Amino acid sequence: MIIENIILAVQELATLKTLALMAVGTVAGLIAGAIPGFTIAMAVVLTLPFTFGMPPAQGLATMIGVFVGGLSGGLMSGILIGIPGTPSSVATTFDGFPMARGGNPGLALGLGVWSSFFGGIISAVLLVTLAPQLARIGLEFQPWDYFALIMFALTIAASLAGENLIKGLIAAAFGLLVATIGEDSINGIARFNFGSDALKQGFDFLPVLIGLFAFSQLLSDIEDRVRARKALTETGSVSARIEHRKAAIQVLKNWINLIRSSFIGVFTGILPAAGSTISNILAYDQAKKASKTPEKFGTGHAEGIVAPESANNATAGGALITMMALGIPGDIVTAVMLGALLIHDVIPSPSFISDTPVLAYAIFIAFFVANFLMLILQSGALRLFVLVTKVRMYILASIILAYCGIGIFALNNVTFDMWTLFWFGIVGYVMRNLGFPLAPMILGVVLGRIAELWLSRATAISTEITPFFTHPWSLFFIILSVFSLFFSAYQTQRGRKTWTLFFTPALLAMLSIPMFMMIGTVRPVLGGVLLAASAYLIFKLHRRGWKVDPSDADGHRLTEG
Amino acid sequence: MSRINRDTYIAIFLMVAWCVFLWASFDIRQIDYGTMGAEVWPRGILVILFGLTAVYLFQSIKAGPDVAADEPFTIGNWLRKYQNPLWCYGLYFIFLLTLPVFGMLIGGIALVFCLLTVLGERTPRFLMIHAAVAVISITGMWALFTFALGVILPQGMIFTTL
Repeated sequence: MIIENIILAVQELATLKTLALMAVGTVAGLIAGAIPGFTIAMAVVLTLPFTFGMPPAQGLATMIGVFVGGLSGGLMSGILIGIPGTPSSVATTFDGFPMARGGNPGLALGLGVWSSFFGGIISAVLLVTLAPQLARIGLEFQPWDYFALIMFALTIAASLAGENLIKGLIAAAFGLLVATIGEDSINGIARFNFGSDALKQGFDFLPVLIGLFAFSQLLSDIEDRVRARKALTETGSVSARIEHRKAAIQVLKNWINLIRSSFIGVFTGILPAAGSTISNILAYDQAKKASKTPEKFGTGHAEGIVAPESANNATAGGALITMMALGIPGDIVTAVMLGALLIHDVIPSPSFISDTPVLAYAIFIAFFVANFLMLILQSGALRLFVLVTKVRMYILASIILAYCGIGIFALNNVTFDMWTLFWFGIVGYVMRNLGFPLAPMILGVVLGRIAELWLSRATAISTEITPFFTHPWSLFFIILSVFSLFFSAYQTQRGRKTWTLFFTPALLAMLSIPMFMMIGTVRPVLGGVLLAASAYLIFKLHRRGWKVDPSDADGHRLTEG
Repeated sequence: MSRINRDTYIAIFLMVAWCVFLWASFDIRQIDYGTMGAEVWPRGILVILFGLTAVYLFQSIKAGPDVAADEPFTIGNWLRKYQNPLWCYGLYFIFLLTLPVFGMLIGGIALVFCLLTVLGERTPRFLMIHAAVAVISITGMWALFTFALGVILPQGMIFTTL
């Protein structure tokens, strides 16, 4: 059955048109990822309108090409001009730029490209193996569990989104509120239409998403009149030849670092709302801690390029695992992909892999293929990147602003969507300037209707609140939500305040409770392991005299901006 | 110097906005189908928003007045600082308003040309470049969507009469 599905998926993808579209998508992603200020999410968002007329597998394969390309594109500008193309490549700049300035730009690029490739392949293997298993667990979920999972996705997004947790939570709740505008999906009753017939239909979430994210991002990029008129090349020299052979050997010699960083990438991606912005910093941090020569980090050290680049590409696989197995977007990019699936009447849920196995396997295969395409096309994209960097920022921004309008019109062929884009462009820009993170709001808009649906189903079964605490998975996610609310404070106060010492042991001990409540043997045993780990940490703290370690405060603060 | 923090103003504005939504939530038709009412979920969100905004308001009051900026706040300074985004929104608004007249092709070309001209340099050489960029980029995209993707973009009154 699996072989049959794989063959059918290959048949869907192995057409010249699909491969050409994937190649174009990968190059577009590489270029977009390389331009500072143009994020991967924006590149994927802008690709979306082109995919409306394509079959689902072809459209998603193109978007995956952009996604993988974008994750690798950031390294080009990070290494060559010292400005990370995307937040996913921030840590790559720490060692990539010094190596390039030290006279080895080709090797630095090669290390980045090969680390991205291997990181992508490792995460593709994990995607194929873990997604079906996680989906099997997802099938056990009942309405209470689903609702709690969505609440966890929103609270973790809010806590990772910036300095101010309250602003993140307000943004998430505002996103949920925006999703309620228009007819409700359960009873078909109009809400918050303020007498307007157009608002009765509600907002399609893609114009909202593009307005909030892409439109507002573009205007932020050209806010400074002088910077808007500058081309990228004015900030540095951009030319190099990638040293593939030498770099590939060096990356493979760093195999422990490579595998560890890839795993960090995948598991960060699995976490709802946490993406490559976090994973590249986390992997860099861990590589430095584990290195025999930590003092060399920041001076152009190969390990410092391998870790963040393998981690950020591996995050894509993790984000796809959550989307495909649970129907919850792992980050903004997968939120857009979720939207693309909905356009094609495919509803991501735990039964997605079993209901539409050919499409699921097509996504798996496309992810593999995209990593190979990225490797092959990176050298060509580098030349294109050199050309693009000669274009002034305001020219790119003006064309893309117009394109946003044309693309969004193509979604439903109604001008109302263009107005939605415009108004939410203003909302997004104002929110950015006032320090409100956009990621929680976008997740709120995407997940709002799903959350209401599951809550409605839960209340239809029982009007009691207790099932939220008696169902193990629901309790599991509620505990995670509560702890995620304190995660922001934990990050800022660790190494200084005593309470932060108990954060991890308390989390592990609390999570063991729902694990003990689960049926079978494995999960209660896992609960025991969590409890034992918690006891061990408490014992270590006791031996240390309950003293905070000031070196903990030096770690990077994780934010998914 | 204002004694009130900028966040305090935002929190008060948000409170007013939530009040408007709460008031509008009483217009939602109530049903008795044995399922969760259509007004329950939005009101639940609004209760959470009121709570969070109250905390935000309290935090902002506690934080005290804003640190004085390098330049004093005047309408002129504000307009100068945000002139690029304001131009973009203004032109986009006009583009959307005039879309039924000019259509996507002519309107799009005009939009890109105007955006390029207000954001970039205005020498004759640059005006020529801007015109060329606007025509090539929008015609290219229009052709791609119309002929390759089969999307019927708004033609506009001018285009149809031509």
